[in-house]
Amino acid sequence: MTTLGITINGQVHAPTEVRDDLSMNDFLREYLGMTGTKFGCGAAQCLSCVVIVDEPDGTCHTNPTCVTSAASFHGKTIRTVEGHAKNGELSPLQKAFIRHFAFQCGYCTAGFLNEGQVLLEQMAKTPVPRAGLEERIAEALDGHLCRCTGYFKYHEAVLDVILSDAKRYLIQESRG
Amino acid sequence: MRAETRVKTLVVVATLGMSMLTAYAAGQGASKGLASPESFNGIADINARSAAIFTELGKVLTHPRCVNCHPAGDMPRQGDARRLHQPPVTRGPDGHGTAAMRCNSCHKDANFEPGRIPGHHEWHLAPREMAWEGKTVAEICAQIKDPARNGGRKVEDLIDHIGKDTLVGWAWAPGYGRAPAPGTQAEAGALVEAWAKTGAACPG
Repeated sequence: MTTLGITINGQVHAPTEVRDDLSMNDFLREYLGMTGTKFGCGAAQCLSCVVIVDEPDGTCHTNPTCVTSAASFHGKTIRTVEGHAKNGELSPLQKAFIRHFAFQCGYCTAGFLNEGQVLLEQMAKTPVPRAGLEERIAEALDGHLCRCTGYFKYHEAVLDVILSDAKRYLIQESRG
Repeated sequence: MRAETRVKTLVVVATLGMSMLTAYAAGQGASKGLASPESFNGIADINARSAAIFTELGKVLTHPRCVNCHPAGDMPRQGDARRLHQPPVTRGPDGHGTAAMRCNSCHKDANFEPGRIPGHHEWHLAPREMAWEGKTVAEICAQIKDPARNGGRKVEDLIDHIGKDTLVGWAWAPGYGRAPAPGTQAEAGALVEAWAKTGAACPG
């Protein structure tokens, strides 16, 4: 048994004893009932299970939960799909997913949403040139599998959010 | 199905099952040992003895547990069959993966058997110049002595690196479904020490 204390979507979960062989995915879904995080391939191949990890230095990244132990998240601060909407209002990226009908069955959506959100936050800190935007989005979403083949629409949804707030996400080119 | 045919079928199935279990058990069991440095004392020529000791060490260095993360390209391999790593990952600028897919996203401090994921807190790829994949033992020997291709180490430094480094040591406790490297880490370290003390000669 191992102690696990964790902050999820801003809520502190007091240290509790968990089995060493308990996966983070099972902890979220079975212990906390947070079923928004999906269990797909079970081998970190499809990335439907990723959550956002917020590091103390202010950076964030996604992390698979199906192949990682719950104990390895001790002391971490994470975000799941349940934490994106604020006060009942969907995030800009969630709204864009709906607007573009990015998902069909929705099984991969939480993973794409978390990855897209991380991309937006990284780009807000480090904007990219417009010319490199498409490649940047493709690189960020690479690895996430969608059996309904919604790749293009996910890509378009992320692109939409970025272009609708270009000053925030893109390097502004001076006109000479 | 006739009773006689049914019995024959059951025997075949049972035999097949037992052979699969036996093969699995063999894959999980202790690896074959390494010859001790003393067992090479019968070789009078010190250079030949040194080269022979390194050849024995080569059983470790060319094992999938080592070569998989000393790849010739930018992608690690995995498993005893040395297939390309899935999901597809690349070394990134520091050998610890790309910004979106760091090694420690999945590889935590220890093996996590339910996920079949090996682990160590320093999990990463060996630098490009330390690629061993596809090389002969002689080529690896020349490479491992070259500070430009061994991380700036002296030959003596390799004794502790191979004999005591805990990431290297993972190769002898690799977890479910992976054959451990031959012998023990201590035995491998003893071979490196004996090889260094006999002049660190390479096989021809």
